[in-house]
Amino acid sequence: MKDLIKPADISKPSAGLCRIEPGDLATLPPPYEDFNATVLKPLPADKVKALETSLDDTLAIGIPKPATPEEEEELVRRFLSGLTKLFEKKNNWTFLQPLLLSMEHCARCQTCSEACPVFEMSGRKEIYRPIFRSEVLRRIYKKYLTPGGKMTAKWTGDIDLNWTAIARLAELAYRCSLCRRCASVCPIGVDNGLITHELRKLFSQEMGIAPKELHEKGTVLHLRAGSSTGMNPLAAKDSVEFIQEEMEEITGYKVDIPWDVEGADILLIHNAGEMLAWPENVGAFAILFQAAGLSWTLSSETTGYDAVNYGLWYDDVQLARVALRHADIARRLKVKKIVIGECGHAHKALIETSDRLLTGDLNIPRESALVTLEAIVRSGKLKFDPQKNDFPVTLHDPCNYVRLMGIVEPQRRILRQIAPGFREMTPHGVDNYCCGGGSGFAIMSGYNFTDWRNLVSSRKKFLQILQAFESEPPQTPKYVCAPCSNCKGAIRDILGYYDAEKRSRLYYGGLVELLVNALDGMKKPIILFGDEPSWK
Amino acid sequence: MMGYYIFTYLCLAVFAASVLWRIYRQLTLPVHVRWEIYPVQHEPAAKAAYGGSYMEGLNWWKEKRRRSTVNEILYMAPEIGLMRGLWKENRNLWLFSFPFHLGLYLMLVVFALLLLSAVLLLLGLAEDGAVLSIIKGFTIAAGWIGVIAGAAGSLGMLYRRLADRDLRAYATAADYFNLVFLLLFFVCALLTALAADPFFVAARLYILGLLTAGAATPAYAPGQSVPGALTIVLGSLVAAYIPLTHMSHMFMKFFLYHKVKWDDSPLTPGSPLESAVKQNLQYRPTWTAAHIEADGKKTWQDIASSVPKEMK
Repeated sequence: MKDLIKPADISKPSAGLCRIEPGDLATLPPPYEDFNATVLKPLPADKVKALETSLDDTLAIGIPKPATPEEEEELVRRFLSGLTKLFEKKNNWTFLQPLLLSMEHCARCQTCSEACPVFEMSGRKEIYRPIFRSEVLRRIYKKYLTPGGKMTAKWTGDIDLNWTAIARLAELAYRCSLCRRCASVCPIGVDNGLITHELRKLFSQEMGIAPKELHEKGTVLHLRAGSSTGMNPLAAKDSVEFIQEEMEEITGYKVDIPWDVEGADILLIHNAGEMLAWPENVGAFAILFQAAGLSWTLSSETTGYDAVNYGLWYDDVQLARVALRHADIARRLKVKKIVIGECGHAHKALIETSDRLLTGDLNIPRESALVTLEAIVRSGKLKFDPQKNDFPVTLHDPCNYVRLMGIVEPQRRILRQIAPGFREMTPHGVDNYCCGGGSGFAIMSGYNFTDWRNLVSSRKKFLQILQAFESEPPQTPKYVCAPCSNCKGAIRDILGYYDAEKRSRLYYGGLVELLVNALDGMKKPIILFGDEPSWK
Repeated sequence: MMGYYIFTYLCLAVFAASVLWRIYRQLTLPVHVRWEIYPVQHEPAAKAAYGGSYMEGLNWWKEKRRRSTVNEILYMAPEIGLMRGLWKENRNLWLFSFPFHLGLYLMLVVFALLLLSAVLLLLGLAEDGAVLSIIKGFTIAAGWIGVIAGAAGSLGMLYRRLADRDLRAYATAADYFNLVFLLLFFVCALLTALAADPFFVAARLYILGLLTAGAATPAYAPGQSVPGALTIVLGSLVAAYIPLTHMSHMFMKFFLYHKVKWDDSPLTPGSPLESAVKQNLQYRPTWTAAHIEADGKKTWQDIASSVPKEMK
């Protein structure tokens, strides 16, 4: 039996702390056995030479190797400075209490480990254990930042702090999808996901280190251009115009998507990625809101047409900047409420986490689109024909608004009414498993990170999907309902990676598409299984 | 004899000071952003059963929030008393952890009962009267179950930490010390009960002596029994030590659950919560990454409302 990697090993130089060998990963059932020996392609030699790659087989950030020992020392100094700030009220009032509580009370009982899909699916690789990175940070904190820490280190758990440890920790902060399943099972209430979140913050807010998809191409682009997709307001309007035309073909009547209507009841904010990758989702909302006679609008202001807020995953300041911008746009439009489209992290960022950032007239009421959709269905204003959705459907629960916000039943009540073939995954609801794309993973594609996601972090979700449909013949088309943009992105990628459309006829989409698919009076189905319409 | 009393007084003073310090620190921390996890058990039972929240309602901010303290208590009672979470998620560990914690709980119960009976004695209740006899019966039952469960549980926990490679890999010297320390205490208490004080009479006299600074003797003379003396010393040290370590989760779990995991209070206009947040937004951060543009003078509010250079 190999020796276990221990927390103190993080600072010991080696080529890598973790390698996934063929057969290590959790086994996939037929007809996917041919993937059981698949491992990550090695990183190119030039990347290994230039970047910090000594954690595992992949890279999320790709930190350049420091050129000199002095540079390394400076980075260590800045890390310690950032760690100090995590425990100061003025710098970290946002999370100080939860952080202190989680840092000081872990009993190291390992209950969290069994709950973590990344740890389980990786073949129990030690560095992916939820407690591993927490324990590293805890030991560094105790040794270097508490009085007498260096003298008591042998007693409380010794660890050396050097650039190797810090570079590995930075990457390791992006091997946890912040699904917080570990925290939900901890008998004490310790939250390893939170500690990971705080690590990401330290690196971003003090050292300027974050994956470029989250920072430069994420929050920075969002605030500068208007959307993390890069779409400026003009491009967003063009996309929506195109969507209107598409929807007219489906409905047979003119669909008007309103922009910047002052005093509307609802400001609907989508994840702008929907406009580009899943335009039918944006269109389906428009069809339903129009048919139900709601007073609503989109905003064409910079940032106002993109609900994403990647700051939630790595940087409180960026989180606050985006949230304030969203609220301010709603305030100036004088809408009665903001409704967040099918985007999980946007729900959590604007409705819940930013709740204690938005004071005075910025505290505009905020609601989940799932709740609004359920109200439309229950109002009886629209007629739905469930037989149009007469195919197997399962529901993916996005962590951000299910386990972390308690929005569990509205989507189910809708599905029970409009999808006769609906069945749950096991487990589901607040016990769900992450899609593997959480906390930014779905949009992080540098180096070979997408492969790591498909092979490791999304593997549990893939197994759950296969299990949900195991009683169905392979030739029957099946629909994975994933009412969240990032989850859809991750599920799209796993279905593609494992060739699941061909092998199991697996398709995916949102919830609102199922509603419009079953809506009375549509000329054409909005859901297609490849080229095959879902109804005729 | 007085030396034992003084030692126990000192240990209890450390206990009280460290408990108060931990609680005071929590109470004076700034209100944090929301970070709850569902199920939140003060939701009405129907919602708590599946993990639903008030945010499932249309225009939820217009509705009166319904909170169920009863539901919260119904959840927490077996969670604290029977360690339901560990039973559900990590049963192998529960087999050892439950008796270990039961032993500690019952030691607290025994202490409380001894204290009560000592007070009642001082108030003049007859020692052979019904009230004190009932308390004595409970003390004996709780004491015996507690020391046996505690000794078996701490031995089992020590075994698990040594034998299980996953637990061993993360164990520190302090973790082993804690278990050995508690094991020694329980073993000494068990030996005392077996050899010298099966009905906890001497233990009650010691508490009586503690309450009266030795004036209300006949005091227990620990020198008559080595395990008895060790029990007093170790018991006092355990009381002082627990709140200084991660084992303070015994009472800090309140904050972990109520102030983080279940803290779902929405911000309402004009509320004390809003005032607290406004106050937080006046902190002046010093983060040094370029995009933050903090200088120690700008407030959180200034920074959050600004668009830094690279984003213009």
